[in-house]
Amino acid sequence: MNVSKKRFLARHLRILQKIKKDRVHPLFYHIHRKYGISKKTLFYMKEYGPRRNVPATILKESLKMLLLASILSSLGGFSLETIRPLLLSVMPIVILLPALSDMIGDYGIIFSSKLATMLHEGRVGKKWWNNGDLRKLFAQILIISFFTATASSVAALGISWASGYGFTPLLAAKIMAISLLDTILLVLLMFLVAVVAGIHYFRKKEDPNNFLIPITTSVADFGNMVLLSLLVIIFF
Amino acid sequence: MPFFDSTFKEILSSQAASVAGGLIAGTLLAFYTDKMLLLPGMLILIPGFLEMRGNISGSFSSRIACGLFLGVVKPEKIWTKIVKGNLVASFLQAILVSFSLGLLAFVFNYVLLGVSSAGIIVIPFVAGIIANAIEIPLALSMTFYLFRKGHDPNNVMGPLLTSTGDVISTISLLAAVAIV
Repeated sequence: MNVSKKRFLARHLRILQKIKKDRVHPLFYHIHRKYGISKKTLFYMKEYGPRRNVPATILKESLKMLLLASILSSLGGFSLETIRPLLLSVMPIVILLPALSDMIGDYGIIFSSKLATMLHEGRVGKKWWNNGDLRKLFAQILIISFFTATASSVAALGISWASGYGFTPLLAAKIMAISLLDTILLVLLMFLVAVVAGIHYFRKKEDPNNFLIPITTSVADFGNMVLLSLLVIIFF
Repeated sequence: MPFFDSTFKEILSSQAASVAGGLIAGTLLAFYTDKMLLLPGMLILIPGFLEMRGNISGSFSSRIACGLFLGVVKPEKIWTKIVKGNLVASFLQAILVSFSLGLLAFVFNYVLLGVSSAGIIVIPFVAGIIANAIEIPLALSMTFYLFRKGHDPNNVMGPLLTSTGDVISTISLLAAVAIV
């Protein structure tokens, strides 16, 4: 790139950084075409370029979402707090608590990212329930969630038994039932929410990637704690 | 279209790592119930606190990985303006979110359960600083290491941060309870 072209590019980039993020400005496409810089790189440079205050940009964009996630988690945690004596008396459930939360949140992220890719590739149409790829993904995650929920319940029961917690077949069956019901019901719910929301945002010409992960992880975290509290009350 | 394909195996193996970390954290919670979970409001606090490491370290790692792939962040030079800015932002996020979680737990405790305990504000604040002082540098070094070795950090960092984050966060909470 010669000196005058570099100077023009630097000027264009400076102007681009000053343009508001939500404005679709022709300069963006001009720089992309003229200098062969990818749109993703331009977006990244616009956000975190040399003249930008990187921490301020990140904090400004993320803080609302982080605070909303904190409020939702605290609401979910409150449902656990209301049954604290009962919950703490069942050691395997305390051991399972973080594992269940991780698992269900991870399935939400997997669903969301894969569904967003399918939507962008045009592989999901109006009759999504007839889509082979979507059915396969759902069946795969359902089977994996069955395996992981069973394995984590067995591990939690084993750890409790090894540390001297009283173990009966009825208790083992209840723990297994709570873990399986909690995981499978939330996987079903997340799948439905992800598909409906994904198709909705895609039809509105929005990128589902920007909405699906926060939606499904919030459903997973909040739903897990509320459902777990309900199941503990029902079974114990 | 085989059912047990590479996607199935990748999801299963990443979940195994994630569940293992969750079970270690859960075991620590169960063994130290008297020190931690008997404090009023701790159950309101713990889910959000454990979730924080994914929201902060996960996004941090993803932003750095994105910069590495785009060539904006150079793999041989860690201390650039973008990386430093990301580090500062992640620590600030951790401090603000830890404080808000404590504040929320205090408000829920006071308004709905009628319990007033200022300790519940200080514990997540101290624990958040301890946990993120370990997790954020770990996420940074692992992202660079994986990228230099030719791996896609996005495929590995999620399960890695989930499994290590739960354990580090639980130990940090225990340490904060002991300190406060």
